[in-house]
Amino acid sequence: MLAEFSSVLRATMLGIQLGMTLALVAAGLTLIFGMLDVINFAHGSLYMIGGYLGVTIASQFGSFWLALLIAPLAVGVVAAAIEVFGLRALYGRNPLYHILLTFGIAIMVQGLVVEIWGGQSLRIEAPEMLSGTVSIGPVQYPVYWLFVLAISTVLIAAVWLMIDRSDLGILMRASAHDTEMVDALGIDVSKVFTGVFVFGAILAGIAGVLLGASRSVSPGMGFGVIIEAFVIVVIGGLGSFKGAVYGALLVGLVTAYGALIAPSVTDIFLFAMMAVVLMVRPNGLFGATEAA
Amino acid sequence: MGLLDAFDPREASPTTDGILTNRGRFGVLALIAALAVLGPIAASVRPFWLYLLVQILAFALLALSLDFVFGYAGLLSFGHAAMFGAGGYAVALLVTHVTPNALVVLPAAVLTGVVVAAFIGWFSVRARGIYFAMLTLAFAQIFYVAAFADLPASLLGVETVTGGDNGLVGLAALEAFGVVDLSSRLNYYFLTLALVALSLLAIVRIANSPFGRVLQGVRENEDRMAFIGYDVERYKVIGFAISGGFAGLAGGLYVPFQSLAQPQLLHWTLSGELVVMLLLGGLGTLWGPMLGAGVVILLEEQLSGFTAWEVILGAVFVVVVVFAPQGLAGVLVSLRDDPKDTLGKVRDALANYREKVLK
Repeated sequence: MLAEFSSVLRATMLGIQLGMTLALVAAGLTLIFGMLDVINFAHGSLYMIGGYLGVTIASQFGSFWLALLIAPLAVGVVAAAIEVFGLRALYGRNPLYHILLTFGIAIMVQGLVVEIWGGQSLRIEAPEMLSGTVSIGPVQYPVYWLFVLAISTVLIAAVWLMIDRSDLGILMRASAHDTEMVDALGIDVSKVFTGVFVFGAILAGIAGVLLGASRSVSPGMGFGVIIEAFVIVVIGGLGSFKGAVYGALLVGLVTAYGALIAPSVTDIFLFAMMAVVLMVRPNGLFGATEAA
Repeated sequence: MGLLDAFDPREASPTTDGILTNRGRFGVLALIAALAVLGPIAASVRPFWLYLLVQILAFALLALSLDFVFGYAGLLSFGHAAMFGAGGYAVALLVTHVTPNALVVLPAAVLTGVVVAAFIGWFSVRARGIYFAMLTLAFAQIFYVAAFADLPASLLGVETVTGGDNGLVGLAALEAFGVVDLSSRLNYYFLTLALVALSLLAIVRIANSPFGRVLQGVRENEDRMAFIGYDVERYKVIGFAISGGFAGLAGGLYVPFQSLAQPQLLHWTLSGELVVMLLLGGLGTLWGPMLGAGVVILLEEQLSGFTAWEVILGAVFVVVVVFAPQGLAGVLVSLRDDPKDTLGKVRDALANYREKVLK
């Protein structure tokens, strides 16, 4: 009985940690969708670039912290290039074409990653001070995972506050709501768009480094995480930040409990949950009433 | 432009009826005749080309089936791999356990596609736009995981059904009452060509029947169609099921030729690639997506020799979407209508790009 309790507790903690980190990826995806109307298939690739740059920086300079700082910023630079030279040319056209563009970019990134880092899976070395485990009740829990949980939660809370309270957040929400009006008020909306895209990418890059040291870094991780992130965003309601956070927690917990019950078919629980949510609420938990 | 408009591909289908004009019909017939001649030539020069041609035809049929629901009814399915894979697995299981008779297994593939599509469609049509796309994706992924983990085997308590990760390998060749030898690659090619041509004919017919017009109406304005009194959801489910039948047939033709049914046939990346084929070829034109399928498969084949072939393939998608928004069909139509003006259009596109990016 005690063994069962401890494995459930462990799964719960793992699920929350995974959920909060996935929320970093999903938050960017949902913000980019809400404001730019772009379904960004390259978002998983940005997460993957974060992971791989993290591997290189951490092994070159022997510092996880430097990787956690530099890799996401570099991802931001890549994202800026994608937005300016790719997406910008497509605004105002049928948003479907964003799918083709970002899908093409995702394929390119996957090819480049294999070219540069090879096909095998790599791992970021977690720092010494975060190694080992702590006991929480009956559970031996890795310190690094607690650290990931803490840093993800702080970041998500900060983003939430920024969107909800700051002037910048108001500007972002206003641009999403009525681009033309914000433009008419003398604000350069295209800069806001670039900013949002880069910001979302940096969050994904951070998640890439964080999970690169607990999961692993491999060429398939981009296409893998994008589906998880889509599930999260759709469950939460497209464009809703709050929805993305709750959706991510749900997905994290279902993944962790699923691994406990039937490890080989965990994904079925995930997709079944999404199907049920959409059948009950066709626009997700916190989505607008129209799917737009 | 809101995202709902994104699923309203009016502007992306400039040549919807093009295939029905005399010139369109002539073009299609000429292409089929050319492919019929190409088969024996390929078989004698380089048998590998036959392999490519069958693959192209199967994916062209799959792309056609998706264009029927997406281009005509405005339903973006991100789960067409489910019907493709289900048709493929149905054939593989029948060939292994029952009979390799093509007259049994291919109709079974169609039926499987219809049933799977009706199931997915019935659950999904209430959601609209991107939510519909994600529901279809979710159901397709459930099929993928079920095949990958061989869930049917655990449920039935037998050793293996889908073969799990490895899939079903070493399938026997199809035959037809011992009359036609379909283990001959050339015969199989002719069978595929004939079935794809017939499917194209059938889909063009359905698309332009009163039923097809209702689907088009649903795409243009779903609410208005509902107010007029059409049971919109039923039309969508039926349209989706019809499309699923053709997708199942595509899978049923693809699998025996490969002699392999594997979970990858059901994976979402195949559905994604399919959407790319549609957009690359020209949405809503029926012939454009088939062309797109051919181009993508040829590109993948030709580029696979290069080390970073994915980079080149991705770059092609990016260039097409930025500079040729109507896809290859748009480029070809423009070339036919006014060859000189096409250069001008390229120049306009470049200028437009420069202005938008550097403003």
